[in-house]
Amino acid sequence: MEKILPKKSFLEWMKRLAAYDIFAPALQDEIWNYELVRSPAAIDMNFLLPVVPPKKIIFPQVETLFEFRTSESGMPEIRDILPESKPAVIFGVRPCDARAFIFLDAVFDGDFKDVYYFQRRNQTVLVGLMCVTPPSSGCFCLSVGGAPHSRDGLDILMTDMGETYFIEAATEKGNKLFESAKHLFKEPKTLDIQELKNIKSESEKKIARQIKNIENVSEKLKKMFDSPFWDEESRSCLKCGICTYLCPTCHCFDMNDEVESPFPLKGKRVRTWDTCQFPDFTMHTSGHNPRPDKAARLRQRIMHKFQYFVENYQRYLCTGCGRCITKCPVGIDIVDILNKVETHG
Amino acid sequence: MDKNPYLPRTAKIVDIEDEVGGPRAIKTFRTQFVVNNSFSFLSGQCAMVSVFGKGEAMFSISSTPLVKDYLQFSVMKMGKVTSALHDLQVGDIVGIRGPYGNNFPLDSWRGKNLVFIAGGIGLAPLWSVIQTVLRKRDEYGRLTLFYGARTSDDLVFKREIEELKSQMTVLLSVDAAEPGWTEFIGFVPNNVLDKKPSPDNAIAMTCGPPIMIKFTINNLRELGFRDEHVYTTVENKMKCGVGKCGRCNIGVHYVCKNGPVYSWAELNRLPPEF
Repeated sequence: MEKILPKKSFLEWMKRLAAYDIFAPALQDEIWNYELVRSPAAIDMNFLLPVVPPKKIIFPQVETLFEFRTSESGMPEIRDILPESKPAVIFGVRPCDARAFIFLDAVFDGDFKDVYYFQRRNQTVLVGLMCVTPPSSGCFCLSVGGAPHSRDGLDILMTDMGETYFIEAATEKGNKLFESAKHLFKEPKTLDIQELKNIKSESEKKIARQIKNIENVSEKLKKMFDSPFWDEESRSCLKCGICTYLCPTCHCFDMNDEVESPFPLKGKRVRTWDTCQFPDFTMHTSGHNPRPDKAARLRQRIMHKFQYFVENYQRYLCTGCGRCITKCPVGIDIVDILNKVETHG
Repeated sequence: MDKNPYLPRTAKIVDIEDEVGGPRAIKTFRTQFVVNNSFSFLSGQCAMVSVFGKGEAMFSISSTPLVKDYLQFSVMKMGKVTSALHDLQVGDIVGIRGPYGNNFPLDSWRGKNLVFIAGGIGLAPLWSVIQTVLRKRDEYGRLTLFYGARTSDDLVFKREIEELKSQMTVLLSVDAAEPGWTEFIGFVPNNVLDKKPSPDNAIAMTCGPPIMIKFTINNLRELGFRDEHVYTTVENKMKCGVGKCGRCNIGVHYVCKNGPVYSWAELNRLPPEF
């Protein structure tokens, strides 16, 4: 479905979505981040790439899986805590971040379906904003199968046309958002459709960064496991983990018990984001560590995204958002690394 | 509603056996589920055991699936969860979820001679297999167990091993000489080389410290065993147990899901990161 929404009607549309929790990018301390919207009037659609991707709404950084406590009989009992089931809309999702959900879906689905993830995922509508100009200097979505105008993973894609938004609904979930506000939307004219096409093709030309011949990378990586390349590339790494914490596709997590009271026992099992860049991520209790140094851990990050995941799921575990490049304190650059891999040996 | 993969079932500890003392003590726990005491698994598979308030860790199930009454875990006191387990008493409650991972392909080994080679606590994952094949004794050929530890005090299942001797060949070893020891003195791989089990129509399984496994594999090759007929189990740090949390992978394989049982031929095809 295709519609035109005059910008002056955007606020009116928001007001009609009262049944949903609305998340949108908000500027705080000069940083854009997705926040729960208290007042629709506060939504500002002129944002850059939010620092933390919207995965944090579906897969929160900290979440309680279940509570345990000593019951009256003196035995521990468990109660699972599933997310509350209020439908949500995330506005201003960048196409790269929306594609990431397709990859996360594959990981969290399967033999052991992650009920926590899908409880939120299934009731969240993703409304994207096309990147007419790249929202970050790190953008390289075209190299990994994405595009500034990709609708993959999105329920709706909005494109800023100046006075209006061009609205493309891709799913049933997306169509539902119009039901209560049909009169606000107009049918697109031939001229609108032509202009949209132009904006889309122009947007691709503005992506500056590129991984060359990425189709060769996976096979190359297979032969580079023992290469000194990883020592060289990881030398400046500070082990801060920001590359993975801010990655829209990274999903590694930890599970730990938090105790409120030891006697009688009361506490909860909590899941938190974790990262393959921390030394103790893989360290055995014995002290043995299969990934003992920075080189092994950088190799794991690159291999997971561009070799292991490709083999397991037939796609790169990367959407080209560029956060790991722009936010790395020492300038480790995944595009540079992959270009070196491509020409290696 | 889909089943919650992270939610353990509560189980009661019904028996605790002290196997080994000292700072790295080993105890064997038997558990029964509080509600509906049934749990379907295969030899080689693992389960996540929770001590509520301390956390959760993955253990191989050392009992046979043919005994339905209880699950058995042999645990060395090493870190937070295992130390907490060692503090528990009969009647205490733990959480258990699983089973996880693959299993020893026992069905395809019918008619074969089986050689078990274990060091220290490494006997635990093989114990489930031994108990299973002994209950189906006529389906398998010659059974041989090589088992060793640093000292005779470090051997687990001592009483049960004595009983085994009437049913299979048991070849014990200790690393160094000690008073009263009449069996092999030296490392487990050397005992294997000394006794020369035949590779003909045979499958070998080896579990123990990485260095023991390495030398055992070398010696088995020397005896003519092919890598696809030698099996081991891989251990890695695990949290979710269901192939999602991202830390136990060796290349494309998640040990919690695709492992822990591998033939040496399969392991050779994975990157050397374990």
